[in-house]
Amino acid sequence: MAIDKTQLANSIDYRNPTLIGLGASAALTALVIIGSRNLEHFDSALFGYLIASIVAFGAIFFRYAVWLQRPATRAYFSRGLKLFFQRKKFARNTLDATKTVGINMLAQKFIFKRARSRWLMHFLIMWGCILSAAITFPLVWGWIHFKLEGDTAYRAYLFGFPVQSMDVHSVMAFFTFKALNFTAIMVLAGCAIAIHRRLKDRGAIAVQQFLLDFVPHLLLIAICVSGLMLTASSTYFGGYMYSFIALTHQAIVIMTLFFLPFGKLFHIVQRPASIGVELYQQRAKEMEQAKCRRCGVEFASVMWLGDLKSVVEKVGFDYTMENGETLQDYCPRCKRVMRGLAYSVLMDRPDKVFHGTRADGE
Amino acid sequence: MNETMFIDPQRCIGCRSCVAACRECSTHKGYSMIFVDYIDRSETTATMPTICMHCEEPTCAMVCPADAIKQNEDGVVMSALKPRCLDCRNCVNACPFGVPKYNSAMHLQMKCDMCYDRTSEGLKPMCASVCPTGALSFGTFEQIVPLRRTKPVNAHVFGNQSVKTKVYMMLPTDADEVSIDGCGVFEGQIALDGPPKSEESWIDTQVEESDKSNEF
Repeated sequence: MAIDKTQLANSIDYRNPTLIGLGASAALTALVIIGSRNLEHFDSALFGYLIASIVAFGAIFFRYAVWLQRPATRAYFSRGLKLFFQRKKFARNTLDATKTVGINMLAQKFIFKRARSRWLMHFLIMWGCILSAAITFPLVWGWIHFKLEGDTAYRAYLFGFPVQSMDVHSVMAFFTFKALNFTAIMVLAGCAIAIHRRLKDRGAIAVQQFLLDFVPHLLLIAICVSGLMLTASSTYFGGYMYSFIALTHQAIVIMTLFFLPFGKLFHIVQRPASIGVELYQQRAKEMEQAKCRRCGVEFASVMWLGDLKSVVEKVGFDYTMENGETLQDYCPRCKRVMRGLAYSVLMDRPDKVFHGTRADGE
Repeated sequence: MNETMFIDPQRCIGCRSCVAACRECSTHKGYSMIFVDYIDRSETTATMPTICMHCEEPTCAMVCPADAIKQNEDGVVMSALKPRCLDCRNCVNACPFGVPKYNSAMHLQMKCDMCYDRTSEGLKPMCASVCPTGALSFGTFEQIVPLRRTKPVNAHVFGNQSVKTKVYMMLPTDADEVSIDGCGVFEGQIALDGPPKSEESWIDTQVEESDKSNEF
């Protein structure tokens, strides 16, 4: 059966994802209004960031909803949720998922297994970005603001509630107000490792693409450098060209936010799906296992194989064999061996089919 | 890229030079992505070399939930994109040729990408460079066909499904496809509740057991 890619592309529903995206943007807008106490604590200088973050937030939800329409993604998503909310295993599932978050999402052990330098690179970029986002977005959305208290102290307010007061000369104030500089250095160091690898590693050079692999790093570097220039301008150059640098910084950040739903950066929101996939596989191991129809080896769970066969059918393939089985009922090795056997049968022919060469027309 | 791979299993002597050389490929350093399987060890020493056939409509890419497997403009189906691969192994079990490998600790699928680091620069893939018998050859039709008594075919039939590939098999001149239905390939299947398979030699067991899981 030939796959009609046009038909598959046309089968994507954009209506619901659009509504979901708009709903997400509306929800964030409402949270901004509530969190900033009717915009009382909103800093109008950050208006550009606010609009960009609201649009990007909706766009990410839109993209995620479109992504979930892939038959395989939908199968994992719906089965993963069902498995997670099983009443008898809910506590264990929560514990397993928490472990996965800790080991794979926070510590990123799987990247460490791929290569130590890649782990360091990703760790610096990821935590640099997460910490920066954790500082800047609450400020942009008016959830956190600072007020001068006395002559030399600032008090932080979270959602309008007073939290912590700190003297501007204290160590805490130094790290709080300079935090973005430290995170920028982390991201720059990570990007330096990444770009060094992309310029030197032969395997990476062969498969990388400028838009997919370089642009995200260049955007992050531009954000960090322009951000550090703001600090330099205000600290060492008496605010020289501050407004221009601030505007440039804002433009690059907005471009990056709009780039989030596409290309490499989408993995930021896509990757946590591996928590569900890992849970799926952990539970699948405890279930009945499918045996290869040819060699009898247990190679996947019955549930997983059933889901896979349904996905294979949905994407337009029909691997039903003469004996009523599907090709996916065989382990990978038996698939290779069966093809080898089929080939050997083909070669068992009268000699005449090999006489001469195709070049001389036999 | 006009060149492609031509596989001629009747020339394969099972030396596994390709398996060793494959580890040198820069896109999957240290891990071999090629398989050399005995087709029926009790009857014959014949072996079947399997690399990725680079399907025109790759099943592995279509069943990937993360859209991580991409086909480039040369028709080469690449390994899963590292940031995207969720280690779900759908591709491993969906591939009709049994090709993709996975590593759970790395959360990663990898497969033969026709040594794209080399072929994109006009070099032969590692396996074709070292194959002593020409069972794995890389070149254009014009280079390969005049040298052989067999003809290149890229049509494979798996039951109701026809699959066309970028990689060619060398077949007798009167054959137009490799079909794994209707040629007795299922006759060797064992009863699921029957006695275990008889022990093979130590080396065969090592090779066969390690290849069975497709884990690298």
